[in-house]
Amino acid sequence: MNLFSKYKLVGLAVIVAAFASCSKSFLELTPPTSVSPETALSTEADLLVATKGMYAGLRTGVTIGTTSYAPDAFGRTIPVLGDVMADNAYQSSVNTNRYTLYNNYTFPVTDGNALGMWASLYAVILRANNIINAPVDANANVNQYKGEAYAVRALCYFTLVRYYARPYTEDPNKPGLPIITTYDPDFKPERSKIADVYALINSDLNQAYTLMTLFTNSSQFSKYAAKALQAKVYLTMGDMANARTAALDVINNGPFKLVGAADYVAYWANNAIREDKLETVFEVSSDAVSNLAFDALSYLYSQAGNYGDFLVASDLYSLFSAGDVRRTLYPTGERPKNTPVVFINKYTGLAGDRSDTKILRLSEMYLIAAEASVGTNEADAIKYVNEITSRRGAAPIASTGAALYEDIITERRKELAFEGDRYLDLQRLKRDVVRSTNYPSAARTIAFTNFRRILPIPQAEMDANPNIRSQQNEGYK
Amino acid sequence: MRKFLWLLCGLLFFSSQLQAQSRTISGKITDESGNPVPNASITLKGTSLGTTSKPDGTYSLTVPDNATTIVISSVGMAAQEFALGSSSTVNAVLKSQTGSLSEVVIVAYGTQKKKDLTGVVATVKAPDIENRPFTSVDKILQGQVAGLQSVAGSGQPGANQSIIIRGMSSITASNAPLWVIDGIIVNSGEAHRLGNNSNLLSTLNPNDIESVSVLKDAAAGSLYGSRAANGVIIVTTKRGRAGKTRFRFDTELGQNDIAYVNDKYEPLNAEKYFEITREGLVNAGTQPADMNNTLTGLGYNNGVDFNWYDAVARTGKQQQYNISAEGGNDKTTFYLSGGYFVQEGTTINSKLDRTSASARFTHKATDKLTLGITINGGYVNTRGPLASGNFGNPVLAGYFMLPSRPAYNDDGTYNLTASRLGNLHNVIALTEIDKRTQKDVGLRSNAFVEYNILENLKFRTSVSGDYNTLEEDQYNNPLHGDGAPSVGRAFSYYTRYFNRLSTTTLDWSQKLSKDYDLQLNLQVGYEAQKSSGYQNSVQSQLFPSNLSMNLPAVGATPVTATATLSDYSFLSQFSSANINLEDKYILSGSFRRDGSSRFGANNKYGNFWSVGASWNVDKEAFIENISAISQLKLRASYGVNGNAGIGNYDWYKLYGYGFNYNQTPGSAPSNVGDSSLTWELNKPFNVGIDVGVLQNRIQLSVDYYVRKSEDLLLDVPLSLTSGFSKVTRNVGSMENKGLEIALHAVPVKSKDFEWAVDFNFATNKNRITSLPGGNEIVMNTFYVLREGSSIQSFYLREYAGVDPANGDPLWYVDGTHQTTTNSYSSAARAIVGSALPKSFGSLTNTFRYKGFTLDAQLYYNFGNMIQDQWGGYYMGAGFGATYNKAARIFDRWTKPGDVTDVPKYVYGGNKNFNSSSTFYLNKGDFIRLRNIQLGYTVPASIASKAKLSNAFVYVRGTNLFTWVKDDNLPFDPEQGTNSQANLNVFIPKTITIGLSLGF
Repeated sequence: MNLFSKYKLVGLAVIVAAFASCSKSFLELTPPTSVSPETALSTEADLLVATKGMYAGLRTGVTIGTTSYAPDAFGRTIPVLGDVMADNAYQSSVNTNRYTLYNNYTFPVTDGNALGMWASLYAVILRANNIINAPVDANANVNQYKGEAYAVRALCYFTLVRYYARPYTEDPNKPGLPIITTYDPDFKPERSKIADVYALINSDLNQAYTLMTLFTNSSQFSKYAAKALQAKVYLTMGDMANARTAALDVINNGPFKLVGAADYVAYWANNAIREDKLETVFEVSSDAVSNLAFDALSYLYSQAGNYGDFLVASDLYSLFSAGDVRRTLYPTGERPKNTPVVFINKYTGLAGDRSDTKILRLSEMYLIAAEASVGTNEADAIKYVNEITSRRGAAPIASTGAALYEDIITERRKELAFEGDRYLDLQRLKRDVVRSTNYPSAARTIAFTNFRRILPIPQAEMDANPNIRSQQNEGYK
Repeated sequence: MRKFLWLLCGLLFFSSQLQAQSRTISGKITDESGNPVPNASITLKGTSLGTTSKPDGTYSLTVPDNATTIVISSVGMAAQEFALGSSSTVNAVLKSQTGSLSEVVIVAYGTQKKKDLTGVVATVKAPDIENRPFTSVDKILQGQVAGLQSVAGSGQPGANQSIIIRGMSSITASNAPLWVIDGIIVNSGEAHRLGNNSNLLSTLNPNDIESVSVLKDAAAGSLYGSRAANGVIIVTTKRGRAGKTRFRFDTELGQNDIAYVNDKYEPLNAEKYFEITREGLVNAGTQPADMNNTLTGLGYNNGVDFNWYDAVARTGKQQQYNISAEGGNDKTTFYLSGGYFVQEGTTINSKLDRTSASARFTHKATDKLTLGITINGGYVNTRGPLASGNFGNPVLAGYFMLPSRPAYNDDGTYNLTASRLGNLHNVIALTEIDKRTQKDVGLRSNAFVEYNILENLKFRTSVSGDYNTLEEDQYNNPLHGDGAPSVGRAFSYYTRYFNRLSTTTLDWSQKLSKDYDLQLNLQVGYEAQKSSGYQNSVQSQLFPSNLSMNLPAVGATPVTATATLSDYSFLSQFSSANINLEDKYILSGSFRRDGSSRFGANNKYGNFWSVGASWNVDKEAFIENISAISQLKLRASYGVNGNAGIGNYDWYKLYGYGFNYNQTPGSAPSNVGDSSLTWELNKPFNVGIDVGVLQNRIQLSVDYYVRKSEDLLLDVPLSLTSGFSKVTRNVGSMENKGLEIALHAVPVKSKDFEWAVDFNFATNKNRITSLPGGNEIVMNTFYVLREGSSIQSFYLREYAGVDPANGDPLWYVDGTHQTTTNSYSSAARAIVGSALPKSFGSLTNTFRYKGFTLDAQLYYNFGNMIQDQWGGYYMGAGFGATYNKAARIFDRWTKPGDVTDVPKYVYGGNKNFNSSSTFYLNKGDFIRLRNIQLGYTVPASIASKAKLSNAFVYVRGTNLFTWVKDDNLPFDPEQGTNSQANLNVFIPKTITIGLSLGF
């Protein structure tokens, strides 16, 4: 090899070296729209952004693999099951096959909605846990955000424990839920007892009540929204004294005011979040950009959208007197043609800003106060329930004893219809579901003991978590 | 940097040497038939001095006075040496090389003589690729390569085709092979975000392809390092040959129909639908008054009986036109082509057209310096309907729409009234008034400089890349369908992938011994690659009723406005060596070191290698004398390569943004992450034999392989209570074993008649050998991963038939099949077959009689199962009662004592019979007449009168005949490699007539 070609080789070596020298940064490509968890949760401002992400999870469910379970959080499935599994909303014979298995009480262990709700709410619990556990120095704002996270976590556990475990009022020592308060992706938890889950819920709500000082708007938790949730928790536990105290705390000390008959229709037609403290204590917001599109709650109920699958059960409709302003939300029509039915018009936001999902309203606080007073002070009970009837154009309630109790439960059914409440009432009251002839004949009476009165622990959870496998709900094994 | 490179090349350019005293040798080179051979190489033995022959086969070469021997060679011809005497004329008659072992094949970063190969490389040449009614080359490979499984998933023109080479080796990461087109490691696969189907390979016109090499084992593929695990497919586009400029024109016309139809799954007409529905209502205990209301609501007796299936299915047209020119001289050659391809799918609203062009120029600037560039690209315009469970999917409408729902009003206008459509969509109307299009541009280019530093030392550097853009547009009108609730909506999604590479290699070959013929070939190389993805998405709503106003700019409410990036990079050093002793013993080795942005901080770089050996037994004296044996070669190889087919940022622990609430920003955990995450290891072992007898009239290759995959990239399912469903980790291992046989035989060969048979056969047995903690993992609810079982094992409740007493569906409670239950939840799931076939391959017979040729290829596939994901709706014993049913529903139980497999029909459903079980799982075995072609070559005497150098006409059938083993298989047996039917556009059968002219 002559000298000259040696130089050529040197030249080549230089080229190769020049390419190689830029190697380190060349291989470091960071994700364009994400950061590390430490970075995402390091300042007060970060926590504010994280709380918004947490609330977004209440609205839109998760995606598992390539399957979206977006509708399976509070955006649709949770409020829908509360009426379809009960006696309020039935599936029209003209339908798009959504929630058929709930209408017919035939859902199996592999049910997708049951999987979606479970996965979505635990994803929100993680978001809340991360905010609660974030190492950011306390100040009023940080306390507010952490307080909201406590309240959201309580809401998630409260929702899950009522759908996946038997009622507290039946036996608090039965299997409840896995309790997760810190992040460990490899943890395979067992179910804790129902009583332990309620203990966590109450502890979280006490924290939330203590930490929060601000009312931002109806779509975020506030001090008295946490108390309102606690009133409902106590009611569900059958703890009437504490339920009454908590409800009255919201009524007497909270900033909210009741909606009257004149504003009632406009109140439901409003899709925007509220800052005026009228009626709504807490709701999950679907805005004009971030929403479930076709899968929004309004599409399932309204006849103006694509679905309109569910209709008002005849026995519920007959409860509304002619002058009851609530009846205007349930217009009559035909579906299919020549079959007279009653439509659900509580949710009308189909384009732009979608209808929000009401979680807690001041009216319910009066109904809780009334129900919790029946056993100890009937006069108070009548007073509180008539705060509602008088604002709806309904006849005042004047009964006593067991009839009064029944009237208050019925008033709850009327006031909270299609807000996902009725079924959970029947659960805590340990009652059979007795449905009108609108429902399939095989699914008109669902005994309190029927195993489908609670949902299966999802097959995917059983598959991934060996420690929960022996703890499946009865009937789904 | 690049300037420096050019400067260097310039320096090299001026370093040519002066010659001593000389004389000129000239002559003419012809083939055995006496035709001139252009572009043959004439070199002075032992030097770099040489030239190439002219188009008329003549050459002249100036050599030193003391020159003794010249070597004359040409592609596909055996090289010959001529001693120089006193004569200055040397004429040569080159002979076609007999036997495939003498061929030169394209391998990783270069070419190799087939006899030097230690690895497994299958080659498909242009004649088997050209003029097929397929949108992309991956579809054309079906049946052509032993062990390469190519399965369609959808008949949508331009749909992606799944290719698996030697079995699936990854659970979570990609199982797609690496595609290398003209030296570019391209982005391939699906890139769509809004449409259902896109295949980046669709922008490459198969008629521009000269050859496809499929690298199957370690010795052949490991040089591609962390991306070689799934095999490598090297595509080389056509290059020009020197000589008179030659033109070629090809065209074909044809039509597409549905390839496979099962009458048992024909949707019902109105009479039949209402018969079963009335029965279902009675069985559900419906009161007579309610029954009449329900039936009326479903359109009973409304006088309409519309066949939606017939209305969405159609005969699609098929056309293509290709024109090319090639030519050049001894210094410069070129190839230019243009093509147009259009295909209509078998359902309304599915269509693809492609306009493509390709160019290649190669210029020999000096004896040492060669420059070249290739550039090819295509513009693909696709129209595709929605798929799977969307109401706008025409196939769904064909099966789900009631015959009582008319597509048209009495006055002939479209029926757009939701209540008269059962709240489903009038897809016939939507085909006209909605819009769903995708425009893809794909460009690939490679510019190279090659310099022979010494006769045996070659430097080559190239800059190459591929550039793909996708414009996806969707408009849903404000009157009816998906757009109605939001008063119209439109989407525009733009996606761009820009991928570029810099590749530099140095090739050195050296004779190592004076005493033996011992040759060393050595290559070192360096490669840097970066791919940049860019995506933006726009959606707006609230549109005017003027249906031609269909872009997002018109919409009154903007809904989506997002943009993001997705990049990856690789840096690699590689080297390969090959030692050849007397053409008998060949030893090869390769090494590559890859770094990638996709790998976690703890595992940024990996080393990959291979060793291979082969023994050309036919060169041994004891075989050489056996005249019957023309080839006998033994091969073995082993190595380690990787699979880096994971998401670009999977290893990061992440909080993502965009979880917004009340239009204020929100963040949430988005990825569990693992900083040790890295490539998946693949360790392929291969042993093979090539035999040729009777002058290679019969050639047989048999290969046996074992691929062990370790540190699998696996989405480990997490307890959902963690807030996540999965994390990608390197855990688990798997094994693929298989046998491949390729046989080529020419039973009859005479002047006028020739019959050739090609047969290939491949088996694959996949077994998962370890999983984290030995625990089984259920994937996507339908598959299970279990140690000892195959990946893609269907894991379903086992259907046990109908209870003759009451018509209830029954399932087995466990694997013993002793006890049944009518409670779906109480039934146990079991492994009930695999989505992957046990064996597949093809049999091709080719007959030539004078000018006529007849080709027939049968493709076969045995041993897999296919799941119908939507069967619960049209066969689910009354589930989804307001949707139409399939004819087979009439096999239902009607009275005690009935023995059948379809339960009592109950309006609304019968005990979860609709839920997935083995009832909806069918055997996937099939044999298909993949290709049959009858062609006629017009005699040269006639063609030349029309001033044509050749003319060929043919009629071709594709997928004309399909045999399936399972009478109950509802849809086409080709349903992707996951074998799940998803209401996709029907796979077509095609008849085309074509013409190919050369002039």
